[in-house]
Amino acid sequence: MGECPLLEAIFVQIDINEYERENEYRKLIENYEGKAEHLLAIMQDVQKQYNYLPRLAIQLISDYVGTPVSRVYAMASFYKAFSLVPKGRYVFRVCDGTACHIKNSETLLDRLYQQLGIKAGETTADGMYSVETVNCLGACALAPVMVVNGKVHGKVSPGEVERIVKEYGGQNHGS
Amino acid sequence: MEAKVYKDDRQTVLVCCGTGCTANGGREVFRAFQKRLENHPEMEVLPVIKATGCNGWCEKGPLVRLMPRDITYCSVAEKDVDEIVDKTLLEGVLIKRLLYRDPVSKDHLASHHLTDFYRKQHKIALRNIGEIDPGQINDYIEREGYQALKKALQDMDGQAVIDAVKTAGLRGRGGGGFPTGSKWQSCRDAKGEPKYIICNGDEGDPGAFMDRSIMEGDPHTVIEGMILGAYAVGATHGYIYVRDEYDLAVQYLGQAVKDARQQGYLGSNIMGSELSFDIELVRGGGAFVCGEETALMASIEGRTGEPRDKYVYPTEKGLWGKPTIINNVETWANVPVIILHGAEAFAAIGTEKSKGTKVFSLVGKVVNTGLVEVPMGTTLREIIYEIGGGVLKKRRFKAVQTGGPSGGCIPASLLDLPIDFDSLTEAGSMMGSGGLIVMDDHTCMVEVARYYVNFLAGESCGKCTPCREGIRAMLEILTDICNGKGKLEDLQLLEDISATMQEASLCALGRTAPNPVLSTLRYFRDEYIEHIENRFCPAGICRELTTFYIDPEKCTGCTLCMKSCAVNAITGEKKQVHVIDESSCIRCGECYRTCNFDAIKLARRDRHEN
Amino acid sequence: MKIKLNGQEREAQKGESILELCRRENVTIPTFCYHQAFGGQGACRMCMVEVIEKGRKESRLVAACTYPLNSPVEIITESPRIQRMRRTLVMLLARRADRHPLLKEMAESYDAPHLGAIETKPADCILCGLCIHACEEMGRSAIWSMFRGIDKRIATPYDEAADDCMGCAACARVCPTQAIKVEEAGSERKIWNKTFELIACQRCGKRYATREEIEYLQERSGYQQEHLCESCRKKTLAINMKNYLQ
Repeated sequence: MGECPLLEAIFVQIDINEYERENEYRKLIENYEGKAEHLLAIMQDVQKQYNYLPRLAIQLISDYVGTPVSRVYAMASFYKAFSLVPKGRYVFRVCDGTACHIKNSETLLDRLYQQLGIKAGETTADGMYSVETVNCLGACALAPVMVVNGKVHGKVSPGEVERIVKEYGGQNHGS
Repeated sequence: MEAKVYKDDRQTVLVCCGTGCTANGGREVFRAFQKRLENHPEMEVLPVIKATGCNGWCEKGPLVRLMPRDITYCSVAEKDVDEIVDKTLLEGVLIKRLLYRDPVSKDHLASHHLTDFYRKQHKIALRNIGEIDPGQINDYIEREGYQALKKALQDMDGQAVIDAVKTAGLRGRGGGGFPTGSKWQSCRDAKGEPKYIICNGDEGDPGAFMDRSIMEGDPHTVIEGMILGAYAVGATHGYIYVRDEYDLAVQYLGQAVKDARQQGYLGSNIMGSELSFDIELVRGGGAFVCGEETALMASIEGRTGEPRDKYVYPTEKGLWGKPTIINNVETWANVPVIILHGAEAFAAIGTEKSKGTKVFSLVGKVVNTGLVEVPMGTTLREIIYEIGGGVLKKRRFKAVQTGGPSGGCIPASLLDLPIDFDSLTEAGSMMGSGGLIVMDDHTCMVEVARYYVNFLAGESCGKCTPCREGIRAMLEILTDICNGKGKLEDLQLLEDISATMQEASLCALGRTAPNPVLSTLRYFRDEYIEHIENRFCPAGICRELTTFYIDPEKCTGCTLCMKSCAVNAITGEKKQVHVIDESSCIRCGECYRTCNFDAIKLARRDRHEN
Repeated sequence: MKIKLNGQEREAQKGESILELCRRENVTIPTFCYHQAFGGQGACRMCMVEVIEKGRKESRLVAACTYPLNSPVEIITESPRIQRMRRTLVMLLARRADRHPLLKEMAESYDAPHLGAIETKPADCILCGLCIHACEEMGRSAIWSMFRGIDKRIATPYDEAADDCMGCAACARVCPTQAIKVEEAGSERKIWNKTFELIACQRCGKRYATREEIEYLQERSGYQQEHLCESCRKKTLAINMKNYLQ
């Protein structure tokens, strides 16, 4: 096993004029053949690069694969891997799998709300932080689990939340 | 199966780097070993260091095992590495504080094989995990890897492979429990080309991580299984559909497919035979419903994961309308062993109708959380108490949830139930993928039902009326009950809606969605009544129904509850009785669960406030 | 192929659905999401019937619209079990289509309990999916079912005016609860948040189709046509035929 940490989300500054990125989107999209069976993979590559699916990218994907825009959008809205709006630079994902739930993952969300001022599914106004609940990550022995930009924090006690949030400069962000 | 990766005259250090141990610093331990042993003047032969997949004993990680002496060190930190190298590798001395201490005998045990956690296990699907570097195909080959394939290609034909799987009695390990041999036979007999093999790696049950560990820790066993399946039915293309959230699994499977291709196990004319078969990896999009086989196929085809009616099975018309077999990761992992060591040996394990072993993820309020593989027929009591070490903090066992959102809760009275497909179904639950979630008296069973229905409210594809609207209505009712707004008539309504969901839903997600509700109603009806009639939650979980107060006679003033409070609602000096300020209390229950003196009590919220 | 339908022997074509057979044999099965043009979807589940398959003693419930008749089976379309199921389904759907008489009347006829109404978008939508299939058949696919689970709803991308929408309103015509709003005023039609110019018939002056519809038709058929509304087109055709035959 070589160096293979859990992948961290690459955060890219979003330009106001996303049309400048058309060529960049095309480069990613045209890595695959223009067939419907590659829709998922194409969309995932774009999502990982830009932290969301830009409107123009969705249009370009539709044209390239030959699937109507409404159906590409349907896929974007159906699959949780995709986001139609940009997420925060730092995304706090609290696992709500059963093991984590009965070990009171809800209390972690309380603490995050205290620190960041946002609830699950929300992003801070300055675009810096997002809080999400995620489906079981499969690290149940470490319940409750919280992942921040790919880094897994296990057995997180409510008291530790403040410390972890501080690591990303978010303490008292909500006040 | 004693083929070793580690040669007897050369020491090997196996560092667990499964997702759990990695989160706890396993990788740092691995790198520390690498650094320290790069160049050691006192060692003639440098030890081999391997980062392995999940050993299953996540509670005790990061695990480091030293072979060939078979020493297991638990909870190893980076700072322990030097000591391990100097004392154990060089001088052969055991470091007691890193060894596992049996809680009953108080003995320090040198090897994990001697612990209760491992002794009762029988590893088939998990046979290689923790022993090999999953990124090295040669490690797999040294442990009989691809020998089953060689045997099949040389001595058997496709039908013989199917017959072996039939005789072995292998049943699907993903939850359905469908006889694998029959499935393969239907596909072999079906007309249409090309035929497809799919591995369902979309493990979505919350609390289950068996498939993740197999994909991360021993990817080649899945690949070899699939190649054998392709040989059996005459397929040429294969897909491994991996859950999007499993980054490491995607990585290792990708590497393994590449290596297998390079060594001639995938591609044209495999091992010089007439079999041509290759595999493509597909990352899921983050949808639990895509674990359902027709939704999974829709996803591969580039559509939203909406299932279809299965009056015509995928083995006849599957991916792009062609004959397809879809099997779960763990099912595939068993196939090479059946072919290489014989169907009879496999069928000798387990019960009459459930052969072989099953991997369970034992999590929740249990001492030894982790993965366990046991013969079918092992009782719940054995798994939870003998292997699992019993309930955390010695609290009272309340229930064990099996089968995830499709399953049910089994109460203490049924702990001696032998686990197999049929017995669990009769008890109102199901085996499911193998998640076993242990719950204690601080778990509210009504809230558990609400939790599962809430999970499905977001995961249902939403296409069919009974599932979508049934879940919606059940969630409203259960939420009302948890918030003290429930009515007794609601229970009948829950049962009526459940019946329709079971009969009319388009797929198994909808058909089994009522299970957690029905099983908690069956075994814990009194708890529902308590919430509805008395507006009280005996477990202290439902915040609208509960308030907490400190019993001044029992409080020792230890300040532990104060420290656990998120909103600083508790005041008190050391050694003085503490007080909870009810106006700032958010009723999260942390203090209640933290107190070691039973000094914090529950009270009905409305009565207390009035 | 011989099958038994409600105790009577009937002839079925191999591969046809139970629903198709029943419609031909004038046996009524309630449906919401079935349309002859699109076939069975299996979404509303109202059409569930009992079948006893060869070699089995017990019946099982299947969706009539998608179950293919490939072997001799026994079909039962009415039973207390089926009645109870339809009642619950109507009870659940009636919450969504609170204002339209269709679900209200059905709920009454099944004596279904009343559960609180829920707000849907569009209002009264029962998610039968007929609209999206109509749009797909027209070749546009401007709308689709978005999101999933209890939040699932029919919409255009971003809930905005869709480039692919040509304002033909086929979706609105096919909707069983008239959930899709078409606003027409003078020479304008507004649907799915998009405003269209309605073109006037060259003969009678009636505003009959959007510019986009007409252009699309011309593109698909490959030839220019006079702008004629349906009745004027028929009249013109009749006159031409008459002239030709004389």
